[in-house]
Amino acid sequence: MAQPLSTAIDTAFKSNIVPDQEYLLQGSILDTSVEHLLHRLRGLCDNVDSGPEQFQDHEMCFTIRTTPTPLSLRVRRALDHTDMPWQLRYIGQPEYGDAKRPTIIRSSIDIGCSASVVEFLTELGCRMDFEYLARGYMFRKGRMKITVAKIVKTNPNKSQDSMQLISESYLVELSVLAPRGQDAIAEDMRSFAEQLRPLVNLDKVDYKRLAHGPP
Amino acid sequence: MGVTIVQHYPMTENRTGPQVIEFLTKRVHAMGAAQAGPFLVDCETYNSAPAFGPPRTVHLLNNSEQPATVFSILESGQKQVPLVSDPLFMDLMKKLGSVYTCKQQTRMEAKGPRFEVADFLVKLGTVTMNANFKGVLVEVEYRPCLVPAACWELLREFMQGFLGTCVPNQPPSYLQNRMQDIYQPLDTIQQYLDQFREYRKAVTVR
Amino acid sequence: MAYSVNVAIEAPIENQIQEIAYDGTEVYQQPLSMSESLSKLAAKIDFGKGQDEKEEKVVDKTEEDAKDPAAYQSSLWPWDSVRNKLKNAFTEVCVLSDVLAIAKEKRYLVLDPVPQEPPETKAMVTVYARKKALGGAATVLLTGAERLRTSQSEAARNRAASDFHIELLALRKNWRLKKVGNSIIGDVSYRTAGSKFASSGMFEVTKAEEEPSSGWSPPQSPSAVAPPPKTPSALRVTLPSELQGVAYIEVHCRKDDEALFSTTVTSSTLNTAGPMPDMHWQKKLEAAQNVLFCKELFNQLAKEAVQLPGPIPHMVVGNQIVASILPGIQLIIGLCHSTATKNKKSGPPQQKKSDHDHVLEHSIHQLLREVHHKNTHHPFPHPSSGPLGPSKQRCLAGPSAVDRHELMEMSKSKTLLEQIIEQTQHFTMRRRTEYVLDTIAKEVRDPLIISHWNSINSPTKACVKVNIMTHGYDTICRTLLIIHVGKKSLKCICRDGSVMNMSYEIQELRDLLICQIQQHQITAVQALAKCMGWQLLSNNTHLGVGEVQQMGNASSCMLASPMGDRLIAVRCEPQAGVHVSIAHSPRKDFYPGQLVKDRKWENLGGGFKEVRWDKMEGKNFLNKMELLMASLTSSS
Repeated sequence: MAQPLSTAIDTAFKSNIVPDQEYLLQGSILDTSVEHLLHRLRGLCDNVDSGPEQFQDHEMCFTIRTTPTPLSLRVRRALDHTDMPWQLRYIGQPEYGDAKRPTIIRSSIDIGCSASVVEFLTELGCRMDFEYLARGYMFRKGRMKITVAKIVKTNPNKSQDSMQLISESYLVELSVLAPRGQDAIAEDMRSFAEQLRPLVNLDKVDYKRLAHGPP
Repeated sequence: MGVTIVQHYPMTENRTGPQVIEFLTKRVHAMGAAQAGPFLVDCETYNSAPAFGPPRTVHLLNNSEQPATVFSILESGQKQVPLVSDPLFMDLMKKLGSVYTCKQQTRMEAKGPRFEVADFLVKLGTVTMNANFKGVLVEVEYRPCLVPAACWELLREFMQGFLGTCVPNQPPSYLQNRMQDIYQPLDTIQQYLDQFREYRKAVTVR
Repeated sequence: MAYSVNVAIEAPIENQIQEIAYDGTEVYQQPLSMSESLSKLAAKIDFGKGQDEKEEKVVDKTEEDAKDPAAYQSSLWPWDSVRNKLKNAFTEVCVLSDVLAIAKEKRYLVLDPVPQEPPETKAMVTVYARKKALGGAATVLLTGAERLRTSQSEAARNRAASDFHIELLALRKNWRLKKVGNSIIGDVSYRTAGSKFASSGMFEVTKAEEEPSSGWSPPQSPSAVAPPPKTPSALRVTLPSELQGVAYIEVHCRKDDEALFSTTVTSSTLNTAGPMPDMHWQKKLEAAQNVLFCKELFNQLAKEAVQLPGPIPHMVVGNQIVASILPGIQLIIGLCHSTATKNKKSGPPQQKKSDHDHVLEHSIHQLLREVHHKNTHHPFPHPSSGPLGPSKQRCLAGPSAVDRHELMEMSKSKTLLEQIIEQTQHFTMRRRTEYVLDTIAKEVRDPLIISHWNSINSPTKACVKVNIMTHGYDTICRTLLIIHVGKKSLKCICRDGSVMNMSYEIQELRDLLICQIQQHQITAVQALAKCMGWQLLSNNTHLGVGEVQQMGNASSCMLASPMGDRLIAVRCEPQAGVHVSIAHSPRKDFYPGQLVKDRKWENLGGGFKEVRWDKMEGKNFLNKMELLMASLTSSS
């Protein structure tokens, strides 16, 4: 108990018990067909009796000018569960190079924190890039988490009535948080994604191509 | 978690650190205390790079009493912003290494034995800065109470009983404006930070 | 308008060869001269052919005309008739084109079709044709319907033998089935509900052989009522031998004075109908699932019993677990499993049947179900990007800076056996408390003891409010106690705030109540005195004079009448009851003596004389006191 906390964390990281990798597949589905997807997910996922879990989250993305590349951090809070702590999330760059990998793999660190995190980050030198609301449903199957969410843009004055929908579709994400080196989970994710076709195509998304996409 | 006072115990010429701790331990035992393990409070300081803008400092403190938490206090000019989070935050600070650097020389820690006597918790801490001895800090906690105004007198009497006159009659400056507020673990950490700052400023053993 | 049309006439062929000289020169026949050829050609034209009937007249006329002038002029111009014919034709064509143009314009002339006469239809022919066609279609449909009817009546006849596939469908609605190779394997285990028990609950589904309808065994019970005839099902379900039959967990508490293993847990106390070999597969499977559940439960409890440290170690022998609850009380958990071969109809109910505690059995089942539930229902992260797994408490632990003690509490969890032992301990304590309260209420009539049990309680905590009051004087004085019944202890909180912690020895509660009753009497007397106008001179809750009490302390109070001329002294002892004495304030028997001369000393009061309380009028102690006070109050 008396050893410094930092060494405990380091040993925990080194011995691969802290889940710091995220395996991710993403896709989207139109509003008109989302009911079918929800029905299918309800049947495929665990705990059929308790129904899908709803969530409503507010996410803000900050960047800080580090060298060589600016670092981006995300702050997320649950609007429907105000007693739960805020979450600070660091998402690393996805590992590219291996087209044979079934899913995107990127490092992800989730830190629960108190509500002063926004002020803290601002004073630290971070600048807020954008913010949005995500509303939707969550499912789980074993270790996999599936979210079907609608992304909504918030107004600076945060009035509830004037929220703009960005698109007429829902974003579907299938993710697993696991320690390093458990690549077998990616295969399970891929086979689960197959069961959701042709409603939604969950696939790897190449962000670099999206960023420099067609003008 | 009750109201906690962190008290600096001045060192005298003829005694070394371990001797002071032994002396205080005897006194505490005489009150009927039972030793209950060790404790550790440490502080790492990160300074912002000069090119980054106005100078900012982040202090990361850990308290063995709250092992699942790391406390971060950001100082920028006159403003102080605290953050209470999971221990993984320390890993995140390392990722900001290009902007915020940590100097190993300024790492401070207070560690020592921990005693339980009735409703009180007494910790006798040896303060070291990068393995150099700096002084002795005594932390006393009165567990049942959460409002400083209700138990300051009791704490003062208890502390003066075994520490003597080094305990002032007024509450510590940090708590003076917060006597009616509910006490938080963060307040203990702030007191430790204030004490560590004094120790850093002092050139010799205090 | 007249259009000029050019008509060209030409000789078609060259001259004919008249002769060919010997030297090859051809001598052509001299062509006919113009007039000769023309006359020849004109002679060839026959104007009588190719003329319509309508124009016959015209033609006749023109022919006549033509002939006349032709006869007149034929010698002059043989082409004249030709010219006239062409001119007439041209005129006709012009007229026709004019007519068409006018008709097209539709202002002066419109073309209408001439109504034709409808063709003659023969009605009967069509009727016969249609009838024949319909008849053909009808025969096709009727043959089809006939075929379907026959097949359905076949099926209806065979339903009594219940089709294997329909039964399989019904089976699949309730149980998980899988086809492995050629056989159908099913699962009765609770694995998908969260169980981690290693035993597999597989059963095999096969087709039952054809049994003659008279083959089923005659009814086993000698009762006159024949069991309803059961149609043999087409499915047979084969269960592993360890899951056959019916099982249940028997739980009962018993005092330790009997020998340790005198109680045997037998299966003859089964309440449910025993399994019969030809029981319907649904019931068989349900029974097997229950057997598996009971086995898992017993297995878990036995494991914990062996591992759990305790002051008296728990014992596991065969199919029984013996755990000590409190000194002198034991909890016996047994697994009763009866298979078809051992079944006997239930004999006279034995002692153990009434001891079996259904509530605790239900509790144990619930505990295991809770474990299963926790294994599958993990909380969702909020916000949604968090990791799956940590509970809400654990998520909050970091940011709210919980200390080590709380973290350790979070990580502790109680085993099933510990939980059921705690519940049994509480149950025993509650029963004992109830017993003591009821017994005291029956014994002590003078102050009434009323207990109100809280209807909201938990399996390990209950609360009872005890009210001690005197009948008729409840507004004057009441003594309230709250008793919290825990797992191994009782906590009593009195109205004045004093807290008493008692152990599981129930005698302590009894003693406490008796002392409280006595306190109540004295307090009630004081309150009554206030009402009656009597003054309280002194009171003492723990009296140091008089006999030393076996239990508690005596208490007393002294009262003076409104006029001051009478005194009442009340002494209340826990076990011996009350003693009341009265005295006159100015002594009646004062005689100034040698030492005490003044008259004023008579006011010191005389000796106390005890009242014969059993002869006193009054329903209860306070009533008697009231009457006593009333009788001693003088009006002057």
